[in-house]
Order: sequence, then C-alpha cells, then structure tokens
Amino acid sequence: MKSTHRAATVAVVVTSLLAACVAGASAKSSSSQATVTISVASLIPGSTPAAVKEFENQVAQFEKANPSIKVKPVEYQWTGPTFAAKLAAKTLPTVFEVPFTDARTLGERGQLADLTREIKALPYFSKLNPAVLAEATTARGKIVALPKGAYAQALHYNRKLFTQAGLDPSKPPTTWAQIRAYAKQIAERTGKAGYLQMGKADNTAGWILTTVTYSLGGRMQSGSGTSARATLDNPQTATALNLIKTMRWTDNSMGSNFDYGWSDINQAFAAGNVGMYISGSDVYTNLVQASNIDPGIYGVTTIPLAKSKTAGVLGGGTLVAVRPDANSAAKAAAVKWIDFYYVRKLVTKSQAIRNAKSLVANKQPVGVPALPLFNKKQYDLANTWIKPYINVPTAQMAPFTSRIFGQKLIPEPAVATQSVYHSLDTVVQAVLTDRNANIAQLLQQANTTAQDLMRRST
Amino acid sequence: MTRRRRRGADAPVGVISSIEWDRRRVRWAVGGAQLILLVGLVVVGLGPILWLAKSAITPTADTLSHPMSLFRNGTAWDNLSRAWSEVEVGRYFWNTVVLAIGSWLVQILVATTGGFVLSVLRPAYARVLRALLLLTLFVPAVVLLVPLYIEIVNPPLIDRSFVDSYWAIWLPAGASAFNVILVTRFFDNLPREVFEAARIDGAGPLRMFTAIALPMSRPVLAVVSVFAVLASWKDFLWPLLVLSDPDKQPLSVRLPTIQSQTELGVFLAAMLIACLVPIVGFLIFQRPFLRGTGLGGAVKG
Amino acid sequence: MSAVDAIPGESTTPPAAAALREADLWRRPRRTPLTWARSGGLTTLLLILPMLLVFGAFSWYPIVQTVIMSLQSTNLVDPPTWVGLDNFRTVLEDPLLPKAIENTAYFAGLALLFGYPIPLAAAVLMSELRRFRGVYATLVYLPVVIPPVVAVLLWKTFYDGSSAGAFNTVLGWVGLGPYPWLQSASTAMPSLVLEATWANAGATVIIYLAALTSVNSELYEAASVDGASLWRKVWHITLPQLRGVLLVTMILQIIATAQVFLEPYLFTSGGPNNSTLTVLLLIYNYAFANSLGGDYGSAAALSLMLAAFLAVFSLVYLRLTRSWSTE
Repeated sequence: MKSTHRAATVAVVVTSLLAACVAGASAKSSSSQATVTISVASLIPGSTPAAVKEFENQVAQFEKANPSIKVKPVEYQWTGPTFAAKLAAKTLPTVFEVPFTDARTLGERGQLADLTREIKALPYFSKLNPAVLAEATTARGKIVALPKGAYAQALHYNRKLFTQAGLDPSKPPTTWAQIRAYAKQIAERTGKAGYLQMGKADNTAGWILTTVTYSLGGRMQSGSGTSARATLDNPQTATALNLIKTMRWTDNSMGSNFDYGWSDINQAFAAGNVGMYISGSDVYTNLVQASNIDPGIYGVTTIPLAKSKTAGVLGGGTLVAVRPDANSAAKAAAVKWIDFYYVRKLVTKSQAIRNAKSLVANKQPVGVPALPLFNKKQYDLANTWIKPYINVPTAQMAPFTSRIFGQKLIPEPAVATQSVYHSLDTVVQAVLTDRNANIAQLLQQANTTAQDLMRRST
Repeated sequence: MTRRRRRGADAPVGVISSIEWDRRRVRWAVGGAQLILLVGLVVVGLGPILWLAKSAITPTADTLSHPMSLFRNGTAWDNLSRAWSEVEVGRYFWNTVVLAIGSWLVQILVATTGGFVLSVLRPAYARVLRALLLLTLFVPAVVLLVPLYIEIVNPPLIDRSFVDSYWAIWLPAGASAFNVILVTRFFDNLPREVFEAARIDGAGPLRMFTAIALPMSRPVLAVVSVFAVLASWKDFLWPLLVLSDPDKQPLSVRLPTIQSQTELGVFLAAMLIACLVPIVGFLIFQRPFLRGTGLGGAVKG
Repeated sequence: MSAVDAIPGESTTPPAAAALREADLWRRPRRTPLTWARSGGLTTLLLILPMLLVFGAFSWYPIVQTVIMSLQSTNLVDPPTWVGLDNFRTVLEDPLLPKAIENTAYFAGLALLFGYPIPLAAAVLMSELRRFRGVYATLVYLPVVIPPVVAVLLWKTFYDGSSAGAFNTVLGWVGLGPYPWLQSASTAMPSLVLEATWANAGATVIIYLAALTSVNSELYEAASVDGASLWRKVWHITLPQLRGVLLVTMILQIIATAQVFLEPYLFTSGGPNNSTLTVLLLIYNYAFANSLGGDYGSAAALSLMLAAFLAVFSLVYLRLTRSWSTE
C-alpha cells in the first residue's frame, strides 16, 4: 500500500538522519597533525574596540612566532557565580583565569591540568616568588597554573572631586579617621558619594569587608586545613562595620545606592560619582578598557593600616590555568601562550618593550601598578625597560607605589574563601540598608554559616 | 465571540444596559472613569517606553543628572550607532531571531503531529498519552531546570555536551504540553465527517494530516505561534545557563552581562533597539495577538 | 522552556467524537504486526514520534531525573552516589530556606493584591467602551511585549536610590521621597512586584476583557428591566459568569509567581540582605552559584519540594473552588 511504502521511506530517512546526527556529535574535533588550536581567555565582555584590537595584535604576534599554534580568543570574566557553570558545562577556553582563592582546590580536584613539567621547563621558573607560586601548587606538589598578576588592595580616589571639595589631591587620607572626614566633606560639598564600598551579593562585598578587617588587624580564619576555624565575629570586623554604619547613616557620605559589584563600582568611579573606594591595585586597566576614564581624575594610595602588628593589606592575584582535558600538545601550546602573553614581558627586555609599544599604539594603559611575581629587583628592572612607554599618570599613583612595599601583605583566607566572602555579603548589605542592623548578631550568624561551609568544603 | 450590536451610541455592550446608559449621569461617570483609565494607561503603559526612546538619544551625563528633562544639552544620536557597532546589538538580535524561529518550528511540528494523532487517529495508546500530557501540564517548570541542564551538559548516550548549541534551546521548547493540548482540543472540535470522507476515499494518515488537518488548523496554529514566539523572546534563565559563548547568546542574556561595562546612554540605546521589533511586530499584528491571548482556550470551530 | 502562563479553556466533548471512538477508524479485529503497519499503524507511530521523542527526552526523563537526583550527590566529575534523604535534610536545615519561602509568599501575595483586582477593574471599564477599545487594548498590552530583561533593566535605572533617579525626581515634584527602592530591605520586594505587575497585567486584562465581552448582554438587559442596580448586576451576573476565568487565572498566577526568578536575580541578586531571595533563586544558588561547583542534589530536592507544594496547593484550591462553583 502506498502509505506503508511512504511510511517505510520516512522511517529510513529519519533513522539515517538520526544516525548522522549521533555520528557527527560523537566525532571528536580533531586537529590536523601540524597545528594545535587552543582557545584563550581574552578580555572582559564589553571591553572597548581598541582593547579588543590590541589583544588581537598580540595573538597575531604570537602566531607569527609559533606557526604551529592557532589561538582563538574568547571573552572571559571570572565571577563567583558564573565560573562553576562554565566549569561544569566544559565551556571554559583552553586557557583561562582563576583567582588565588580557588586555584589550589580546583587543582586538588583534578579540575585544572597538571602543568608541572611544562612550567618547570621555563627559564625563569626558579626566580618566581615562592609565595605566589605556592598559590598555584597543590598539596601534593603539582603545579597547576602560572601567576598572571598579583595585586594588593588599594584606596582609589577621584582627584577632581577632592579639589572640588576643597581637599588636596596630593595628600590622600592616611588614617581611617581621615577617610571618614574626607568622605563627609566630599559628600557635603559635591553631592557625590564620598566613600563607597562594594555591597553586591556576589562575594565582592565580603571581599572588601575582609580587606578593611585586615587593615585593622583582624582575621577571618584561624588555623588551616580541616582544623580551620571561622573567626568572622572578631572585634576588628565589628569596628569596620560600625565605621561603615556611621559613614552611611550619620554622615550620609556613602550616596544612596549600595549594590555595587567590582565592575559596577569601577563604572561609577569613572563616571565621576565616587570620591573614594577600595579595590585591587590593578583596576586602572579596567577603568580604561571598559569605561574610558579621564586619566586626570585618577588617584590611588595605600589603605591606612592600624598601628597593630597584625594589620596588613589583603593581597590576592590571578592565576592562568589550563583545562584538564587538554592533551599534551595543547598543554605545551597553552603554556607557551601563557608565557608569551602574561609572563615573558616581565623577564625579557625585548618582549617587554614590544608589548609596551603595542599597548601604547592601541591606547591601552602601560605601567599600571602591580606587585612583583618574581622579586622586587626584577620588578624594578622590568619597570625601567618600559619607562619610556608608560602612559598612565604615575605621579598620581605615587602615594600607592611608594608605600605599598612597606606594607605587610596578607593572603586571603585559605579555606572556602569565596564561601566565607559570601557569608559576609549579607552582613555588609544589612548594615548599609538597615539603620537598625544588629552587627553583633549578624556577624555571629555569618560565622556559623561560614564555619559550616568551611567544614563541608574540606 | 464578542458581541457588539452596533445600534448606535445607546447600544449596551456590557454591564450597563441601554436603560442606564440613557441617564446622563451614568454616561458621564463611566466616560470619566474611562478617560482616567486612558490617561493612566498612556502614562504607565507608554510612559516608560517613551522615556527609553528619549534617553536613548540623550547624552549619558544628562540622563544621570536630570533624567526627566528633555534634551537640555542637545541629542546624542551616536548612542544608537555605538549601540549598533560596539554593543553589536544587531548580532544578538539576530541570535534571538534564530532561536525564536527554531523554537517555533519545533513547537509547531510537535504540536500538530501530536494533536493530530491523539485527536483524529486515536490509536490505542492515545488515552494514556493524553493523561500523561495533562499530568505534565501540572508540573511546574522549576522541576525541569536542574536535570535538563545536567542532561545538556552530560547527555546520557551521546559523548559530547550540547552547551552552546542552539538545539539545546530548540528541542526542549517543543516539550510544551499546553501547545499539544491546545491543538488536540482544536482537532477534537473539527467535524469528523471530513476525515471519514477522506478515509473512505482511501487517504492514509499522512495524507489526512497534510491535506486536511493542517490546512484547517490555521487558527490554532496562529495562537500556538504567537505563544511560541513570545515565549522564546522572553526566555532568560535557560539561554543564560546553556549558552555561555557570547557569540551565540540572545539579547536577553547579553544585555545584563555587559551592563556594568557599557556607558548608560549606549546601553539604553541598545535596549531600545531590542524593543523595537517586538513593539512594531505587535502593532502590526495586533489582532491575531490579542485574539490569540484572549481567546486561546475557547477556540470554537 | 515556555512558562505556562496559560489561558483557561472550557472542556468540551463534541458528541461526534464519542460516536467515532466506537468506530475507531484504524482498528481491525485481528492485528498482526504486518496488518498493523499496513493499516497505517506505523505511519501513526511515526507521526507521533516527534512528540514522543521531544517529550520523552526533555520533559518526562528530566522529571524522573529530578526525583533521582534529589536522592543522589552529583558533582559532574565522579559518578553520582546515593545519599538517601541527606539532600532534603540539608535543604530543610538551611537558615535561608524560611527566608526564601517567606519572600516568595510575600511576592505572590503582593502580586495578587496588585495584579488581580486592578486588571479586572480596567477590563470592566474597557468592556463598556463603544469605540476605541482597540486603542486601550494596545496600550494595556504594550508592556507585555517588551522583553522582560529589557523591562527589568529599564526599571532598574528608574529605581536609582539617589534623588536624581527617575522615579525619585518625579516624586520630588510633588514633595515626596527620595525613596531607597531597591536599596532597602523593606522597599525592595514591593519594587519588584511593581515592575512585575507593570510587565504582566496587560495580559490578564485582555483575558478578562475577552471573558467579559462574551457574557450575553441580554442577561444584563433583563436584570435592568427588573430594576437591578449596577452593583447587583455585577455581583449576580458578571462575577458568576466570570467565575471560571477568575479562578483559573488566580491559581495560574499563584503558580507562576511562586517560581519567580528573573526579577530577584536581575534587580537585586536576592538582596539587600536576602530580602528578595526567592525559592527559585535559592535553587539557582545551590546549583550554579558556588564557584567551586554546585550542589545539584539539594537543588533537585528543593525543586521537588516546591513542585509538591504547588501540587498539593492546586488540589486543595480545586477542591475548595469546586465546592463554591456548585453552590
């Protein structure tokens, strides 16, 4: 019967289509014998076309020097909530970035490729700052990442708003009392937020609160490993929160919007709406790349430290890692790229100059303050190489660069760092949005939550 | 079916009868209320959209400091061009369109074939399937979220993940019990004689489907299409989870991601462009839209 | 995945269909596989195959998987392990759970308060229109066609807490404000509901309008002749006629608002201080927010608990409203 024949034909067609789909789906993407293709994290989504062009320049330079490697740039930004999804979905580029806080745990779980062999083969391996390298090394000694950059927290301030408020932009605050007073003055005379602190529930609020706690001499954790204890309810954190509470409710110097995260606060600062805020020392790059900041308004200084032996500045950094499912050819290519793009310019004069020239040509910042990945001598040396190309206002950054090396650098809490920050997020939000927030109670609750999360992660 | 007897201004159309309408006080009271409603609708319904249009071509600084003023420092048409070139609204808009078309096709295919078989052909297993569909209708979408995600990331039989593939959006969109039940109900209401006649003429099921059922099902297909396209346009969480490659993302996922890196004026311009097609499409296709959403379940043949 | 913000339908059983069920076009007395195939059984199966495959893979299988996953610990690296009721225990012991439930109930309640009577009143007024009904309908439905993400981001700029924010500026003209909107735990949720109502009420108005205009106006005429006042007509004719639509839209709205995700996620990420944390946002956080990997088991467990609650709620609701309908 006609309909049976037709039915049979349909059946055959459908089955063969399905078979083709399955076959196509299970075929691995194979690379040809000669070239290896790797995808690499490039820039934050929304970066300016000039920044994107500069990155593509670098890719072209690299591919020219390594004809057997093809590099595919992929937009990338590490944020607490989105990273896990990408990791689970295996959609991370071959080369991607992770903060110090997560790298060791990920490495121990086998979620980062083991790069020990390739990294030890690098010529400058022995010169790497051991503290920084330790962040990339698992408990069993596997090296799973290379450092991209280390930063210390800094106090960024708007020189123009300082002037408008009658403050001297070359004399930024050196104590917390001064921060409070200056913030009040800026708010009164210019109507802008004098001091702003991150308050978004994506771990950044807790990160900055921890920074302030460290600067007052407190710690969020004691002990290490499985015996680590949460100490979120330490007196210094309470002091920090009370200070914010006063600035927010009594002085009214923090503006009216408090849900700023890392990118939002940069954007608000570049738009001239923030007098002072705390963030990593390396944000100037983002201020230029994403928000086209007017260099004249930018100033940065060190965070005031209390006169206590335990007071210090929170230090962190970013590492560059490779997907665990990369084969050895891809791993070798990846390490070559990491070496070329991230590290080489710090150790080889010609590379440093070439990199700087290229950045300048595309109006990207050269000379943004950073912390040494090797040692201070190497760091100073590298800076002299690129001195002719520095296009950031270094004089305006002097309050930071001249004082940071005298400050004690403290690593972030080691166990379940992001979860600890997350428990603090809501505390910061409560203080900023509720006049009657009970700080002691909030800290106690946060401490219990954090302790539980720490216990579950080890 | 709407009843509208056009017997002049005194014709009763609702609760108020012609007797009452004769009284001037009633006319003025109701008319007044309707006028207030109209003003309210314009301010509340149209207002935000007009503000968006105005702000899209206003310099950012002005929007930030004086959001309700009208071009106090002139216009900034380059917001729109920057939205097009820097934010690349065009590309993300195209992604949204492709996703909508694919989802729509899958939904039409599944609903028409399913509805036809369950309603007209009625094999032995039809009763079980209809019950199953009704049960599925009552399962809230939240239940599907996590396992569907895991299924896309780690499909059970196939050795690769479907993240960043449009099939991960198109195919699950077809699993809408509402669509199938709608079409089944529609076919239920069609006169059986047409199909009987066709069977007697020797038509097989496929023939009956393509030659009779499909042509007659235009009204319900219009309703299903409206729902399908709207749902796809509005979809946020699922594409957010499944499409991590920025090149593939629709507007709904892309816009929030770049908000903090994009200047406000340009961002608003991008949002305006994102709105234009749905608004224009709606204005053109008003009648099927409104008819579809108002009378969806009561389609009588 | 389309949200089922569905339209109520009446269930009709055409008489002809019943008769034909007996005839059952394609059944033969003795069916072997060959006669089944030849008589069109194979074509039938092929025709329904798309539906079976799509539903099987993307609806029924995931539903079963939710139940299974809620009893397992999954981390996508190792094979899943059975953990019994551990996930449920974790969820029930989470201090954020009561907050999430409270917030979701608050959102649903407020949404019902604003989004239920106001559209009805608007629809009643619109059903009295003799002309220009189309204009009203277009205006009222316009916010519904705006993509929800755009609506939320647009309202986020409106809700700027400083006195230079759009809403605060307008309120400042009449001497009110400035209000913190999204920056305070007490005003955040109402702000969310306000935007959600704006974006969705139009659809409800159209549904009510269609139902209202289908009421036979002769009923009203007859009642007026008998001397019934406006309110009595509304109470005794309009509302009973509309009862089906009203009841169904209410339960559908409750089910939809119980699963609200977009507004809390985009406006406030659940803040400030967890005041806009909803159940669905909590599920999302379990599964996707931890940078070191998600707890899919807890997410599945909470999804199941929410679905069970909605199922029980719907049954109770149907039982109650049925007893009202039969009065």
